[in-house]
Amino acid sequence: MNRRNKDDHRSDDPSSSSSASNSSRSYLNRDKPSHKNPNRIIPDSTMATQGWRGRRPDAAESDVPLNRANSQRFRLQGQHDDDDEERGGCGSDPRFIVGTCPFMCPEKERLQRERLRDLAVFERLDGDPARTSSDLAVKKFCRTISMKDIEASDVRPLPVLDRTLNYLLDLFDSSDHPFVTVHDFIFDRTRSIRQDLSMQNIIGDQAISLYEKMVKFHVISHHKLRKCATKGPPTSPMHHLNMEQLIKSLASLYNLYDINRKLDCDCENEAEFRSLYIFLHLGSQGHNHIMGESLSFWLSRLPPSVIRSKEMLFARTILRLYHVGNFWRFFYCISKEATYLQFCMIETCINEVRAEALACINHGGYKLHPYPLKLLCEILKMKESDLEYFCGLCGLETSVDEMGNRVLSLKQTSFSHPKGGLNTYDYSGLEQLMREMKI
Amino acid sequence: MAYVSMGEAHRRITDYLTRFSDAITAQNAASLRRLLAVTSDSHLLLSLADALNIVQDSNRLVKQNEKFGQYGEMLVPLLRALQCYRIGQLVDSYSAFEKFANAFIQEFRNWETAWALEALYVIAYEIRVLAERADRELASSKKTTEKLKGAGSFLMKVFGVLAGKGPKRVGALYITCQLFKIYFKLGTVHLCRSVIRSIETARIFDFEEFPSRDKVTYMYYTGRLEVFNENFPAADQKLSYALSHCIPYHEANLRMILKYLIPVKLSLGILALDSMLENYNLVEYKDIVRALRQGDLRLLRYALQENEDRFLRSGVYLVLEKLELQVYRRLIKKIHVIQKHKDPSKAHQIKLEVIVKAMNWLEIEMDIDEVECIVAMLIYKNLVKGYFAHKSKVLVLSKQDPFPKLNGKPV
Repeated sequence: MNRRNKDDHRSDDPSSSSSASNSSRSYLNRDKPSHKNPNRIIPDSTMATQGWRGRRPDAAESDVPLNRANSQRFRLQGQHDDDDEERGGCGSDPRFIVGTCPFMCPEKERLQRERLRDLAVFERLDGDPARTSSDLAVKKFCRTISMKDIEASDVRPLPVLDRTLNYLLDLFDSSDHPFVTVHDFIFDRTRSIRQDLSMQNIIGDQAISLYEKMVKFHVISHHKLRKCATKGPPTSPMHHLNMEQLIKSLASLYNLYDINRKLDCDCENEAEFRSLYIFLHLGSQGHNHIMGESLSFWLSRLPPSVIRSKEMLFARTILRLYHVGNFWRFFYCISKEATYLQFCMIETCINEVRAEALACINHGGYKLHPYPLKLLCEILKMKESDLEYFCGLCGLETSVDEMGNRVLSLKQTSFSHPKGGLNTYDYSGLEQLMREMKI
Repeated sequence: MAYVSMGEAHRRITDYLTRFSDAITAQNAASLRRLLAVTSDSHLLLSLADALNIVQDSNRLVKQNEKFGQYGEMLVPLLRALQCYRIGQLVDSYSAFEKFANAFIQEFRNWETAWALEALYVIAYEIRVLAERADRELASSKKTTEKLKGAGSFLMKVFGVLAGKGPKRVGALYITCQLFKIYFKLGTVHLCRSVIRSIETARIFDFEEFPSRDKVTYMYYTGRLEVFNENFPAADQKLSYALSHCIPYHEANLRMILKYLIPVKLSLGILALDSMLENYNLVEYKDIVRALRQGDLRLLRYALQENEDRFLRSGVYLVLEKLELQVYRRLIKKIHVIQKHKDPSKAHQIKLEVIVKAMNWLEIEMDIDEVECIVAMLIYKNLVKGYFAHKSKVLVLSKQDPFPKLNGKPV
């Protein structure tokens, strides 16, 4: 099997993908300000020398099909064979495919889904549930594929995957449909992208860039989905599934970083994306063991340059403040330093910290000196109306003092931690964070 | 390599083969194990390696005599492993040794008594060390490092052989410890779980039956796992067991145990003596202990930073960080003591301003609102007993037992 087709990796349609990125205003396509060339999405000649297929260390034997033992190396420690699902459920196939499908969706699948009227809302031509086009159809995720049945024409090569991902992420901010619908579509189609990447064992800079964008999608969705769940628990099944895929994508991304490091390449965004892992351990919902290993153990194996980065130091500080219980500085640091992505991850435990803060103040304060709500608002970064409501949820009463200020009376015996159903309140100063991300 | 004549080389090889087969016939593990330590610098094996380089077809020597030939499956790869090791071909040496080890296990299964356990231990040790060195060779030529993983699989197989009702089962703990070392090195500590489960819950093993040396090593590693998981009472119990059962003059081992036990004890509020830290060269903890004694937050942070790499690598950093709580408590306690000297009647009232001043003096920026929040938190966690009055910005300590003892519970 010829695996090093350097000639046919050029994108079919360079102009369309670059114009797509130019016009995009979504967070996900906007690279960080320090990025050299924000429009550098199509592969250029440097890709040819790097070999976008990924120069594995034993590339000298490239004519020999890689056996499964080698591919184990590309899995993160502790990530067991869940990844088989990404490869299409076949545990014993040793070969990696080279995809040749030039469209976002393989033609065979597109025609079949047209016939079966199995088209998502975004894929319908003029709203017709039975018609689509090669510009609209995107390959679906398929849980049960046997590797034996897959043909190269069913699998999309890297440039096409890149183009597909950009197209999908452009839809992220679309307001024509409810967010859950948008999320659901992108969720499924990006999973298919990861499947294609995995089947072809693509590693290297571009793979990293794709995974970073997909992780961003899951993180921001994590935040937006909470806002959507106005009734009932904020952790709907969709939320839970999103978190599951977030963790999987992170694992694959970290794996790529590790492989890249062996090939002596530096990844610009690695620090920020590593820091997200730390936030997964926050809160009582926070998993103590993710992917089967403790956080201390995970940290012990990170390279010093990553551990000492600004983003990691921030994450470690937040973790410490959370565990020590210094809620004052917890919110102070978040406002000062968190990036939007980091905030989305931390958000899960923010109300928990706020409840703990109320518990502390209510418990230790002098009864005759009620605590001014205004000050609490500043500390906990909440609007006064939200804070009042929140106090109510915690079983605490607020009142008005002789000067007309709202205060929290202390030593109330009715405090209890709110059981579920916590809304996401506005975080004061969040606009600031989001503004910074736009630049 | 000294000059060795062909005749002398033949003699050495034949001598070795004789010892090997005699040891098995006589079921003499002590003799046998000396022949298997490929990575050791024993004179016997070094001179054998020289001989093997001269005699190109040592396999013929093995096969031509029925006495040795019956063990050909073991001897041929074993000789190759030794020869490759001595000429620096580590990957080949490992592969050959693995072949030998597999052949040995086949025989071992058939021997009814546990006579060969000591030899098996040597094999377990050697296969691990060879695998580590082979992986290093692979890494330097940018190839996949998979030998240590292979050694792990082999040892799991051995574990399965030993985990039965017979007398061989006392060897299982040694094999477990070798597996721990491999998993820790590979970073796959989650794999420890299944062996631990077998040792601790299977009714085959009675923990007390195992040799003391193995029990100490086992408790050391499982104690370290508890530290990673921040189960401090369990970590305390296991590491303390290891400490108290460790042979006193094995100072290096004592030091290794203490390296992890000290942070655990500190979390439980038990400080280590300077003299002990100096004796065992664990001076990285000295400043931390001092910070706890003096309530000096700046010193704690300084000590954490100075030793950041070391603490992160051993996985105790996150544990030590949380000692901050005890430092706050100690600081307030000190202020209380000072105030008692000045004016006992008012000592239990501490102005928050004073704490702010103390922090500023330690070059730590903290305004009065943050101090109030920290004080509220300390009261809530029962590290300090009393209340704070918001309008007067004062902490009022309880007249009785304002600083409850930690009582061995993790903070």
